[in-house]
Amino acid sequence: MRRLVVVVGALLVVGLPHLAQARPAASPRLTILAASSLTEVFPRIDRRAAYSFAGSNQLALQLEQGAPADLFASASPTFTQRLYRKRLVEKPRTFASNALVLAVPQSNPAGLGSVFDLRGRNVKLVIGTAAVPIGAYTRKVLQKLGLTDVLSKVVSEEPDVKSIVGKLALGEADAGFVYRTDVRAAGGRLKAIRIPARGQPEVRYEIAVVRSSRHGAAARGWIRTLTRTARARLLLRRAGFIVK
Amino acid sequence: MTARPAFTALLVLALAVAIAFLLLPIVAIFSQVGLRGLVDGLRSDVARDAFRVTLKTNVFSMALILGVGTPAAYFLATRRFPGHALVVTILELPLVLPPAVAGIGLLAAFGRMGLLGGELETLGISVGFTQAAVVMAITFVASPFYVRQAIAAFEAVDATMLDASRTLGAGPARTFWRVALPLAGRGLGAGAVLAFARGLGEFGATIMFAGSLQGVTQTVSLAIYQEFDVNLDTALAISAVLVVASGGLLLAVKVLPLWTGSRSTSPSLFARSAST
Repeated sequence: MRRLVVVVGALLVVGLPHLAQARPAASPRLTILAASSLTEVFPRIDRRAAYSFAGSNQLALQLEQGAPADLFASASPTFTQRLYRKRLVEKPRTFASNALVLAVPQSNPAGLGSVFDLRGRNVKLVIGTAAVPIGAYTRKVLQKLGLTDVLSKVVSEEPDVKSIVGKLALGEADAGFVYRTDVRAAGGRLKAIRIPARGQPEVRYEIAVVRSSRHGAAARGWIRTLTRTARARLLLRRAGFIVK
Repeated sequence: MTARPAFTALLVLALAVAIAFLLLPIVAIFSQVGLRGLVDGLRSDVARDAFRVTLKTNVFSMALILGVGTPAAYFLATRRFPGHALVVTILELPLVLPPAVAGIGLLAAFGRMGLLGGELETLGISVGFTQAAVVMAITFVASPFYVRQAIAAFEAVDATMLDASRTLGAGPARTFWRVALPLAGRGLGAGAVLAFARGLGEFGATIMFAGSLQGVTQTVSLAIYQEFDVNLDTALAISAVLVVASGGLLLAVKVLPLWTGSRSTSPSLFARSAST
């Protein structure tokens, strides 16, 4: 019993400070908070960094609450600019664009051929919440195409784009608005239905160095790698992003 | 002589640390929300819809859990058979299972592409994204809290009571209704309250299996998650109500036995059930 107490005590003393530390001090491994839609491509560009992928709105909130990080990559300038105004991040830079598609499970259970088919049929549609970029873009698309009435077909509002992909890949929902890069990343599980150009919103990705970062120089270097090296640009393009 | 107060001090210190750690987040919720925030937050449509959905789905879940769980627990408490421990383990499994696993399991079983998806589809039933899916998720996750307690409660019933009931001419069903059920009542009530409290807070399995749509499948936990970056006041207000509700339920479990304590002595109860 006494030995157990000693072991537990030692574990606490040694372990707690370790758990509380965001990253080992010796290696400047960058912590990157990035939009869900970057889940596949960022680790391909840099395998060493520590990533946290979620809805850009959630990541912005985490940073506002003081989450330790070096870089923040958002699927919409809304959130990088908000943090920039609050002086929480350095000046954001655009590094890619994306486009929305209507994704359906490979088997296409509702037999959809175009976005306008959403109107007539009994379709289970999944979209993002209004707060997350994919959800805000989706509402823009529907507005531009005069399809806002299909919002009544929505069966679930998801917190980030990958949750939409999951519901579609499982075949649980009939259709969902996601980025075209998500369909590519899902392999053969999803099919993309194009959205007419006049319905496309501008989907711009921005990245910024977090001001409280202890590795500011390394983080700025990371952005340079992302925006300037041929390899990173090729990987982004291959994933379906639009890089100028 | 000096060792004993020092030891007591150590115990008190440990308790104080535990209390402070557990209480601080709860106090923080109330200090952040304020009275006005609480009222405004609860007046929002999101909060109102979420409470309505939560109450409705939990009532259905509790009916299922009590209706099926009580006889099942009675059977397990009164009979021994090979594999008994295994059966109990299966019933208790959701207790230790991560809710996300429960969610993916429910999808794999009852989802459209799931094990029973084809059969359900031909019957014209599609549970995904409906309140039925929320009820299933809650039932799956909360049921062991009741069943476990119910088995223990039935096991604690003096077997000679059941035997006496039988020798006095009551059939097994009558014995269950008139003797076992009243005698185990307190334990069953405690289990039901715990299961209900767990069901109120269900999150992981629900968001995976049922999705989240205001007024349909968005329960209070899902509403908190959705609102925390949109309208923090609403999220805090809902959280505050949940703290009060859950705390109240837990306290009820502890206090209820004290009120009814005197009835638990078996002779009087035996006399009563024999006289009716």
